[in-house]
Amino acid sequence: MTTTPMTLIETEDRRQYRATRRRDFVVDLSMALATILAALAIGFLVMLATGNDPIRAYEVMLTGPLDRSFRVGRWLEDATTLTLLGLSVAIPFRARQISLGAESQVYAGALAAATVAIFVPLPPVVAVIVPMAAAAAAGAGMGLVPGAMKARLGANEIVATLMLNAIVVRVYDYLVNGPLKESGSSAVHSKSIQQDSALTPLSDWFGVPLGRANIGLGVMLLTAVALWLLITRTPLGYRIRMTGANPDFAAYGGIRVPRVIEWSFVIGGAVAGLAGAHLVQGVYGRLEPGLAGSLAFEGIVLALLARNNPLVVVVAGLFYSYLRAGGDIMEQQTDVGTEIVVVIQAVIVLLVTAQALPNLLKRRIARRQVGVR
Amino acid sequence: MSSVLDVVLSSAFLAAVLRIATPYLLAAFGGLVAERAGISNIALEGQMLSAACTGALVAGYSGSVALGAVSGVAMATLLGVLLAALRLELGADAIIAGIGLNLLASGGTAYAVYSLLDDKGGTSGLKSGSLPTVTLPGVENVPVLGDVLSGQNMVTWLAFLAAPFVAWLFYRTRFGFHLRAVGEMPDAAESVGIAVRRVQYTGLALSGALAGLAGVFLSMGYVSFFVRDMTAGRGFIALAAVFLGGLRPWGVFLAALGFGAAEALAVQLGTLDVPPQLVSTIPYVMTLLALALYAWRRKRRGRAVPAAASL
Repeated sequence: MTTTPMTLIETEDRRQYRATRRRDFVVDLSMALATILAALAIGFLVMLATGNDPIRAYEVMLTGPLDRSFRVGRWLEDATTLTLLGLSVAIPFRARQISLGAESQVYAGALAAATVAIFVPLPPVVAVIVPMAAAAAAGAGMGLVPGAMKARLGANEIVATLMLNAIVVRVYDYLVNGPLKESGSSAVHSKSIQQDSALTPLSDWFGVPLGRANIGLGVMLLTAVALWLLITRTPLGYRIRMTGANPDFAAYGGIRVPRVIEWSFVIGGAVAGLAGAHLVQGVYGRLEPGLAGSLAFEGIVLALLARNNPLVVVVAGLFYSYLRAGGDIMEQQTDVGTEIVVVIQAVIVLLVTAQALPNLLKRRIARRQVGVR
Repeated sequence: MSSVLDVVLSSAFLAAVLRIATPYLLAAFGGLVAERAGISNIALEGQMLSAACTGALVAGYSGSVALGAVSGVAMATLLGVLLAALRLELGADAIIAGIGLNLLASGGTAYAVYSLLDDKGGTSGLKSGSLPTVTLPGVENVPVLGDVLSGQNMVTWLAFLAAPFVAWLFYRTRFGFHLRAVGEMPDAAESVGIAVRRVQYTGLALSGALAGLAGVFLSMGYVSFFVRDMTAGRGFIALAAVFLGGLRPWGVFLAALGFGAAEALAVQLGTLDVPPQLVSTIPYVMTLLALALYAWRRKRRGRAVPAAASL
C-alpha cells in the first residue's frame, strides 16, 4: 500500500479528528465507570436505609465470585449467556431498531437445539455443531418476523417483539409440560441431550472444577469479534451504522434501508438463538421451565452500557454477570437480598439513558479547548 | 362445543371477564394518555408493580385499606413523573428509561418485601385486606345481570368509567386538546403558546395514576396480598391494546376488554382438556396479526413507512 502524501492542512485535520475521537472515547469510558460507581453508591444507600450492613455486603459481593474455582465457573457460565443476549440486541439497536424480542429468540433457539440434540443421532463434533446451527436458524427466524413486519409494513417493532415473546414463551411452556416432557419423571423437564451434543466443560481443559462453564465461552468471544468485524469492516455493517445514524440520509445515499433493518433483526435473532443453544447444550443439558429467566431483558442493559459496541458488550457482560454471581453469594452469606443487584442494574440503565450528561460534558470540554486557543 | 358455549354464556364467566379485564383497561388507558402526549410509557408494568406492592405494604402496616390504595396510586404517579423528567430534563429515550423503571420496580419491590418481611415470595404473611366491592341494591336480585354486575370490586367500576372519562378528557376539555396537540407535533403546539412540558408532565402523571390503580387492583382486589412480579406482563399487553385500539379511547377499550375476555376464556378452557398455554396465546397472535394488518392498510393508503424509531 502506498501512502498518498498529505498536505499540511490534511495532517492537521487528521490530528484534530483523532484527538476528538480519543477525547470522546475517554469521556465515554469514564462516564461508564462513573455510572457504575454511582449505581453502586445508590445500592449502598438503599442497603443502609433498609438497615443492612452495606460494607460487609459489598465485600462479599465483590470478592465472592473469585473465592473458589467453581464460583468462577458460575460467573463465566452466566457471562456467556448474558453476553450473547447483549450482543443480540446490540445489532438491531445499531440500526436504531428497538428489538425487545431476545426472549422469543432465546427460547426458540433452546427448543431447536434441544430437539436436534435429543432426537437426532449424529457423529461426534457434528453433534455439537448441528444443534447450535439449528438454534441460530430458529432465532433468526424469530427475528425475521418482527424484522419483516417493521421493514416491509412499518409495524411497530416494540409491540411486535413483545407479542412474539408472549407467544413463544407460552408455546415453550406447553411443549416442556406436554410433548417434550420426559415421561416417568415427576419433575417437569425434557429428556437429557445426547452425550455427544454437550459443550465441553472448561474443567476438562483447566483441570480445576469450573462448574458448568464450557467452551460456549469461546463461542461467545468469537461471536463478539465476528460481530465487531461485521459492524466496523463490512459493507452490511456500514449500512447498519448509516441506517442507525440517519435513515433518511442512508436512503438518499442509495442504501435499501428496509432490507438493512430486516438483516439487523435476523442477525440479532441468530445470536440470541445461540444463547439458547448454550443454555441447553452447555448449562442444563435439557429443557427446563423458565430456562432463560429474565436474562433476555438484562441483555438490553449490556447493549446500552456498551453503547452497542460488540467488544465492549463482552466487558459489560463479564462485569454484570460478576455482580449477579456476587449478588447470589451475598444473599447466602448476609441478610441482603440478591434483588439489590437488579436495583443497581436499573439505576445503571436510568443513568445510561441520560444521554444529555455525557454530551454536556463533551461540549464543555470542546468549548474549553476552543477557549484555550 | 356446546360445553364451551355453556361456559361462555354463563353469568360467572361474564363476571370473570369484567374482573380480569379491569387491570388491562386501566393500564391501557394509562398507556393511551402517555402515547397521545408523545411519550411512550413502557414503564406501565413497573408502575403497576410498585403500586401493587406499596398498596399492600402500606395497607398492611397502617391497617387502612384506603391509605394503602392512595399510596399505591401516588407511587405510580411519581414514577410517571419520573419518566417524564428523564425524558424531558435529561434527554433520555423514553423506551429505554421505561425498561429501566420496570427493572427498578421489579428489583425494588422484591427487595423491599424481602427486607421488611424476610419473605422471598410476597406479602401473604401480612394482613392487608382488600378494597370494597359494590353491591347494587336494585340490580342485585335481577337473575343474570345481578350476578355479573353486582359484587364487583369498586376498581372494576372505575376501570369501566375510565373509558368515557378519557374520551371526555381528550375531546371535550382544553387539556385534552393540548395533550393531543403536544403528542402530534410538539413544536407547533409550542408555537401557539401551549406549555408543552407542563402538559407532558401532567399527562405522564395521569398515565402513572391509571396504571397505579390497575396495580392496586391486583394486590387489593384480585387478591389481598402482593406477590413478586405479580403483574406478569400485563403492562405490556395493555400497551399492545393501546396500539391495537388505534390510539382511540373506545378502540382501546374494546381491545383491552377483548384481552380480558380471551384470558378468561383460557382460564375456563383449562378445565376442558385443551392445553391452556396454547389457548392463552390467542390474544397475542390476534394482536400480532392485527398489528400487521393495521400497518399494511396504512402503508397501502400511502403513508410513509417510518424507517426507525427513536433510540
